[in-house]
Amino acid sequence: MSDPLLSVRDLRKSFGEEEVLRGIDFEMERRDVQVLMGPSGSGKSTLLRCVNRLSEPDDGTITLDGEDTAAMDENDLRRQVGMVFQGFNLFAHLTARKNVSLGLRRVRGFSKSETEERAEEELERVGLADQADSYPAELSGGQQQRVGIARALAMDPKLLLFDEPTSALDPELIGEVLSVMGELADDGMTMLVVTHEMGFAREAATDLLFLDDGTILERGPPTQLFESPEHERTATFLRRLTDLEAGQHG
Amino acid sequence: MAERESRTGGSIDVGGRYDPIEVLGILAAALFWGWLGLRWLNDWFGGLFVREGQAFLPPSTFEFLPALAFAVEFAPELAAGVWLTVLLTIVGIALGFPIAIVLAGARVYGRTTRWVALGYIELVRGTPLLAQLFVLYYGLGLSSFIRELPGVGTVSVIPEQAVWVAMIGFTINSAAYQAEYLRGAIESVDPGQLRAARAIGLSQIDGIRYVVLPQALRYAIPGWTNELIYLIKYSSLAAFITVPELFNRASSIASENFRYLALFSLAGLFYLALVLTATNLTSRLEDRVAIPGLARRDERLRERSQ
Repeated sequence: MSDPLLSVRDLRKSFGEEEVLRGIDFEMERRDVQVLMGPSGSGKSTLLRCVNRLSEPDDGTITLDGEDTAAMDENDLRRQVGMVFQGFNLFAHLTARKNVSLGLRRVRGFSKSETEERAEEELERVGLADQADSYPAELSGGQQQRVGIARALAMDPKLLLFDEPTSALDPELIGEVLSVMGELADDGMTMLVVTHEMGFAREAATDLLFLDDGTILERGPPTQLFESPEHERTATFLRRLTDLEAGQHG
Repeated sequence: MAERESRTGGSIDVGGRYDPIEVLGILAAALFWGWLGLRWLNDWFGGLFVREGQAFLPPSTFEFLPALAFAVEFAPELAAGVWLTVLLTIVGIALGFPIAIVLAGARVYGRTTRWVALGYIELVRGTPLLAQLFVLYYGLGLSSFIRELPGVGTVSVIPEQAVWVAMIGFTINSAAYQAEYLRGAIESVDPGQLRAARAIGLSQIDGIRYVVLPQALRYAIPGWTNELIYLIKYSSLAAFITVPELFNRASSIASENFRYLALFSLAGLFYLALVLTATNLTSRLEDRVAIPGLARRDERLRERSQ
């Protein structure tokens, strides 16, 4: 238990001339829920994608469970690091059940009956057992995102990445997704979450990282960052978020 | 749910009653294909019911309607040509299809292979089909090679060499066109889905196979229907390398009796029947494989225009 589950050292990534990540350092212990916040273009999504190598880092080291991810087989790495997308990205031609089953069958090599059983369990876990045979286009956005979470969970990931999981959702559907994420956090899932949901951060996050211009400007427990941020930029950003949320929910 | 069942079952059942036009269409199709099937059987087995090329009923039966008597007299010979038209079309589409999948995949996902595929597709699409057939038939000596193969030209059920050359030509040609339709369909599948497939640990090739292609093939059906229709009609170019298909037969009969208009009208009716059958089948296929909750393309367009 001494080693952190995830350790990121001096991570750098450029797209063309633009350096999007300019030396990122952080660690995650098992059961940690770390929330990444920051203005758009600050590199949050790129950071997540570097962790499961959907984007290849230019420089720096990332280790998962003591293993250098750059040396791992990329498919093997991704099996261990689940990802939930902003746009859900469900397989449109497959039912909810088959969306969850595909990885079990084709990546983990489960038998038909094992797959069936496990897919059922995961859909149950996100409260969608009764929608198992619905196709994505027949589900609401909130339901689709919960299937997306079940699909990721089925791979038994050591770490789950969430890339703005609720920002494509209508306000009234955000709650059901956040509550599933809250349950996962309570169950001890290690989660790295890009989100601007202050409520979720306040209740579930062990740490909050504030990303600005490709670096981590400030980090700490959410209450500390919300109440007494060190940097003016953090304060301004969080104040704007608070105002926005008050406008939305109030 | 009820809606889905009635769609997959075809559209005969309109609110519990039968659509008379649909029923009439099915009867006409059954009559046409039943008659064609019997003609083909008759000719393959050297005159099973009547002499090869002879009508089942003597044309004189229809003397009261000269046009009908004419049709009855010459339809049997054209029917033998329809067999080759159908054969060339189906072989061209079916063999071209797997090649098209590889070409389209290379076009979208390949690095060096992308340029190889592009070169092939542009070369084939940029030159006339007739020229391609001529090169294969006269230029490459393909026909004399095929003639030497065992069985060709001597066993009656094996088509003669020109037919083989035409089948090869149509396969090469159709692969290029189908690849372009498929490429468009592959590109219309949201790339986020392939990313999601990769994110659970599927390899690129498995992601394409299990996630992208099943959807792309559905989206390709309307374009693919066009290719099928074109091929039915373009198969008439095989006439110019001596294949006795529908067009070839019509024109050689007409060169004897000079009734060009009548014969080409009759041949035109045959082509029309083939095309209507093809579009009807692919439309049913499109309904059957439609993804629940997602509207078909033509339905989306209709909604937008309202």
